[in-house]
Amino acid sequence: MRSTLLAAGIALLMSSCYNRESEPFVGNVKFDGTGYRPVYKNAEDVAKVEVSAAQALKEPGKIYTFGRYLFINELGKGIHVIDNADSTKPENLSFISITGNYDIAVKDNWLYADNLSNLLVIDISDPKAPRLTKTIANALPVQNYPPMTGIYFECADPKKGVVVDWEKVSMDKQPKCYR
Amino acid sequence: MKKIIPLLFLVLAAAGLMLILNACSDNMGDSGVNPQTGTGGSMARFAITGNTLYIVSKQSLEVYDIKDGGNPAKTISRNMGVGIETIFPYKQNLFIGAMDGMYIYNNATPANPILMSKFTHVMSCDPVVVQDKYAYVTLRAGVNCRPGGSFSSLDVVDISDPTRPALVNSQTVDSPFGLGVSGKKLFVCEGDKGFRVMDITDPAKPVHQRYYQDLPSYDVIVRGKHLIITGKKGLFQYSFDDSDSIRYLSQIPVL
Repeated sequence: MRSTLLAAGIALLMSSCYNRESEPFVGNVKFDGTGYRPVYKNAEDVAKVEVSAAQALKEPGKIYTFGRYLFINELGKGIHVIDNADSTKPENLSFISITGNYDIAVKDNWLYADNLSNLLVIDISDPKAPRLTKTIANALPVQNYPPMTGIYFECADPKKGVVVDWEKVSMDKQPKCYR
Repeated sequence: MKKIIPLLFLVLAAAGLMLILNACSDNMGDSGVNPQTGTGGSMARFAITGNTLYIVSKQSLEVYDIKDGGNPAKTISRNMGVGIETIFPYKQNLFIGAMDGMYIYNNATPANPILMSKFTHVMSCDPVVVQDKYAYVTLRAGVNCRPGGSFSSLDVVDISDPTRPALVNSQTVDSPFGLGVSGKKLFVCEGDKGFRVMDITDPAKPVHQRYYQDLPSYDVIVRGKHLIITGKKGLFQYSFDDSDSIRYLSQIPVL
């Protein structure tokens, strides 16, 4: 009885690594010696928000306009703040560095941004010097698996920290997680 | 007479209030812009209407009261199943793009959105924008979107009765990401393939107009006659009118 329970428990644990959302995936992909490994950071570093001088766009994502201002997400990295009063001459004002940021919304002088599972409130009354005023932890459910499907990956271990990225590496052994 | 005066005043005040409220919602519906809040693109997971912030995660709708802007207060969390991707508020409704369909929620009571219907389609990635009676949905095939799928499409869904959305048109497109709508124009971001301009003089039947293949695009915001586009090469701004071309304003290039 005990061993059945244990087996069931292990099966449950293992299945939790699988992503139920990815269905229907087409067939099983054969392990090709590569897989994705989580890149961990400690929670403190993840929640750190820094404002710097304007930076060049590298991988622009979503955009958001608010009055004369334009906010451009830098995929997973933060937000470019642009003065777009003259749309023929937009002026890059500042960069808010935020780990795991993809989304933006603004009401009055408050900018809301995602920071992995945290929801941030940033005071933008001075758009050249945005200021983090609040971090709401665990506001957003996040998934501990890579965004791709049909791949093998090392199961994320919350004890090692917060997963901020996934890197493709060669692996000797087929990792336990697949999606 | 003395008793009637305050009553009259009340009636007038109520009428005035109704007018103001009405004007407000009309304005929001037409331009998608509320004076105190901004505008996002169709790929957004965050949306604000009035004093409510909506966030869609992969599997849920999270609602925050932001009357006190500096202190968002969670009001409700709705588990929505799987593969939620985008949210687009329009008038009294929230249009939520999921991998297997489009959900329409009524948000007359912002803290308690009510599910009106779900328009189910094949598995794909599908942002949605809305204008008047129609929702425009792009369905992108791809490794993470429509496994094994063969083509991508642009669908037009009649949402005049939000409880009964009905497909009225579907056509093949290349690799659609975000999209935007304004007046008689529909804009479709085709990822690395470019940027597509369509005519919707007949809103139920988008007609291909121009395809800017040197303009990779991921998402677009349309404000009046102004286009803000992001893509692999950077941020591009254009203006447009009733003609079939768009006019370059500026860019912030990727460096």
